Amino acid sequence: MDTQQTNDRTADAGSTASASDTSTVNISANGRNVGSYTSVTDYNSSSGSVPAANTAVAAGSMPEGGEQTGEVDANGTEGQTEGQVEELYPIALLMDELRHDDVAARVQAMKRLDTIAIALGPERTRKELIPFLEDVIPEDEDEVIAIAAEELGKFVSLVGGPEYAPQLVPVLEKISACEEPIVREKAVASLNLISKSLSDEQIQQTFLPLIQRLAKERWFSLHIAAAGLFESVLIRVPSDIRTELLKLYFDLIQDDSPMVRKASATELPKLIDLLAANFHTPDTVNEFHWDIITSMYENIVNDNQDSVKFLAVDVLISILSFLQLLGDRTHHPELFDSLLALINDPSWRVRYMVADRFDKLAENFDDDSYTLKLVPNLLSLMKDNEAEVRKAISKELSSFCKLVNKADRSIMINDIVPVISQLSMDEAESVRSALAGEITGLAPIFGKDATIKYLLPIFVDMLKDEFSEVRLNIISKLQVVNDVIGIQLLSESLLPAITSLSNDKLWRVRLAIIQQIPLLAEQLGVAFFNEALGQLCMDWLWDPVYSIREAAIMNLQKLTKFFGEDWCKKELIKRILEKKQSKDFDNFICRITCLLALDKLIPVLSPKVISEDIYPFIDELKSDQVPNIRFNVAKSLASIAETLYPEYKTIVTDKIVPTLEAFENDDDVDVRFYTKQSIEKVNKHLQDTKQ
Amino acid sequence: MDVDSDVQMDDAVDQRDATSQAVTENNENGMNAGDGDAVMTSTDSSLSQQEDTSTEVGKPIQQAPISTTDPTTKINTLDGWIDQLKQCKPLSESSVKELCDMAMEVLKDEENVQPVHVPVTICGDIHGQFHDLMELFKIGGPCPDTNYLFMGDYVDRGYYSVETVSFLVAMKVRYPKRITILRGNHESRQITQVYGFYDECFRKYGSANVWKMFTDLFDYLPITALVDNSIFCLHGGLSPMIETIDQVRELNRFQEVPHEGPMCDLLWSDPDDRGGWGISPRGAGFTFGQDISEQFNHTNGLSLTARAHQLVMEGYSWSHPDLVVTIFSAPNYCYRCGNQAAIMEVDENHNRDFLQYDPSIRPGEPTVTRKTPDYFL
Repeated sequence: MDTQQTNDRTADAGSTASASDTSTVNISANGRNVGSYTSVTDYNSSSGSVPAANTAVAAGSMPEGGEQTGEVDANGTEGQTEGQVEELYPIALLMDELRHDDVAARVQAMKRLDTIAIALGPERTRKELIPFLEDVIPEDEDEVIAIAAEELGKFVSLVGGPEYAPQLVPVLEKISACEEPIVREKAVASLNLISKSLSDEQIQQTFLPLIQRLAKERWFSLHIAAAGLFESVLIRVPSDIRTELLKLYFDLIQDDSPMVRKASATELPKLIDLLAANFHTPDTVNEFHWDIITSMYENIVNDNQDSVKFLAVDVLISILSFLQLLGDRTHHPELFDSLLALINDPSWRVRYMVADRFDKLAENFDDDSYTLKLVPNLLSLMKDNEAEVRKAISKELSSFCKLVNKADRSIMINDIVPVISQLSMDEAESVRSALAGEITGLAPIFGKDATIKYLLPIFVDMLKDEFSEVRLNIISKLQVVNDVIGIQLLSESLLPAITSLSNDKLWRVRLAIIQQIPLLAEQLGVAFFNEALGQLCMDWLWDPVYSIREAAIMNLQKLTKFFGEDWCKKELIKRILEKKQSKDFDNFICRITCLLALDKLIPVLSPKVISEDIYPFIDELKSDQVPNIRFNVAKSLASIAETLYPEYKTIVTDKIVPTLEAFENDDDVDVRFYTKQSIEKVNKHLQDTKQ
Repeated sequence: MDVDSDVQMDDAVDQRDATSQAVTENNENGMNAGDGDAVMTSTDSSLSQQEDTSTEVGKPIQQAPISTTDPTTKINTLDGWIDQLKQCKPLSESSVKELCDMAMEVLKDEENVQPVHVPVTICGDIHGQFHDLMELFKIGGPCPDTNYLFMGDYVDRGYYSVETVSFLVAMKVRYPKRITILRGNHESRQITQVYGFYDECFRKYGSANVWKMFTDLFDYLPITALVDNSIFCLHGGLSPMIETIDQVRELNRFQEVPHEGPMCDLLWSDPDDRGGWGISPRGAGFTFGQDISEQFNHTNGLSLTARAHQLVMEGYSWSHPDLVVTIFSAPNYCYRCGNQAAIMEVDENHNRDFLQYDPSIRPGEPTVTRKTPDYFL
């Protein structure tokens, strides 16, 4: 352990403390490795100040481990009594950890900052812990500071309630000067959290000067922190101060540093929403400040950095919704023009942002005529050069089409559908995939006839897409389409595609198809099902991928529920039993699949079929050479016994029970384990039925 | 970017002394994946200076304080752990301790050449890619219904080494006859300090205790397996000092992986296109040619040698046709190599079937889109 370094730190902290008038007591711990046991707590002074206390505390059984040094400044609070010292030592230990050489240890200690504060009590937290942190933290690693910043947000009650909360501000202010964004954000978030427990006067006394100080410093990092704090203050001050604040914010919007402009533009929508939410509630907001807000917006829209400019989209949405609240439509034409400029911006990131929020924008203009004016822009975004833009607008299609449908249905079919079909053949896989996830959502908007005429061909084409994710996205949302056009039509037009996908190379596509089968089966009826899908359902049982075999087995169980026992016997059981004659049956996987398939059918079949068809097959497998088969036989026998007893009592008592008893002496430990479980189950069942 | 998947023995050696102090600094080295051509120059000198270091060994067959609790409780505890691990939630430190003690009891009785019965599914490197391990079970079927043989390298590189190795060890203790886990070159104190497992343990548990427990356990893992007297399975490859499988049986495996000698070679060697024995660019083990494999399989009456240890883009690759196969079960290795993974199913008639698979789909993970980082401003 590097004691030297720690001593330096202590010395630094000490000198800072004496230099500043405010700090009274400075606790620090000497970083000798204490091995988490401390028996001697040694308080003395450093740098020539007067000794305050020097007490040795013997701590019962604990072995001697190390020592700690607390510095107490001459101006300190009244001398500590021995009792205080005694209860202090675990705290001193934690404080010691805060001084640890290893960052990980300091992080751990910082996470327990609240424990320290609780132990110290409010007064000493205010007078000792907070000043201590103020001295130490700014020099620490970002990782440690970030945690301190987060913890301090929860400190209001620990320093003695809201009246003392302002004392937390200076340390957080120091932290918010940090250049590391994560640390700064945490400090700002904590300050905002603390502000909630403050009264309006306290806000004006502490937060207002804080913001003004931060915003006027000549360092971008502080400006960013300032921008983050407005939300706590804006609606808690009188109207005239609010105007001043907004002017200050306008300065941030026009800041020299793009980082600051970006941060303030990001925050602006939140502030506008706040104003809107509190508009006209008594004594809060009574003015929209249209001029200043619109100037901010203008500034953002015309920023020369696209990463600032694209934030205008969210600002616009907030402005529009505020105007909607006011019932003011006079500004819509100019705002719409600015939106058009954004849509046609040379930077793809700006266009992307518009595309991504397209539905929200349209909703907030809230007028059919604007919706219709947006259609050409929708089309141009759908044809954008940049794939990311096309992808984003694809995701907005169904919600925007809802609006178009309300305004003018013919436009949707005549203008939008052709471009959709173009998009479905887009060169970028990600675009097609996004469209595939969204396009099925259009069916309810189009209605039955239009879906059949315009959308179904696109679905069928996309099901043949070479990119598996596209196929998967269509298949997994077929339910929606089914609700609109009915299963009959769906299956007729999509069945060929489904059949070809049942052998898809990607197993998750096959899985998605299997999961649609019970739905199809229910609607198609037995005859059509047997002809079209019967063979497929059996083939999946022999898939090389286990999950497909598992799904196929579950599928058979569900089908039996629809089609009944006779069908199951004829179509399923017979074909499974036939496997026994084939060469595949030499393979362990084939045998265990047959076994598991029949086992899963037990709950949906009558005792008669089980005793005649299922049991003999499973019984034959009891002497299989592979233990895995044998212990699955043991498991199945329990379920069979439960179904057959008491109707087919003799099979249970004369055959199954002896088989299980023989298994108890099997060579394999797992066979014995599952046999034991099965025997318990069977015995319990026998007893239950007797009663 | 084919190339060797793997690590340089040298990295670990250089770090050896520094590790206890400054392990956190080693992260950088950890992601040198794929740079297999960074050839080590001073093989001989570094190997010779390693001789004295293999002393920090686990004591073979020490008295573990195994709980004499009744078997049902033990099984219930294990099932609880397995359920928890399946959700990718690591066990508590005390549970890991208990688990490792149980595992030592199981593993100490296994042989250097652990006999394994068919049918069995043989798998290669996992490297902490926990979700892909779960995908593997989706493809091959759950244990215990399917029997598994893993050929080492459960830890390092991936983000979930702790969960991966805890899960496999828990399965081993719960179903000792259904699953076999061999030792890979990453199941070692030195290598794990450089390639991630040590740091991960430290991050997840706040101390190196769990790392210590697992690396002590690794000394007990069998180093090879023999499937039905016909398929020889091991992590790396052959050794010039091993001609017969019986010679492997005579080794004392209960120690840290040495820097040279037969046990080291079995975990470090690679097959090569060139004939005969060659110097390995890894700085440990050797390369061996088709002639060597032919001789070895013939001498020992083997139909095949199966091994892992190298990234292969298709998940499996016939290194020496019909003699040596490489199996690699970490898809998109290091989350960036773009390779498929594979497992090999061997049925009771010795038919072999390779199943390839892609990385698992993790719902809820954000899709990566293009973003301009802030620093361009």
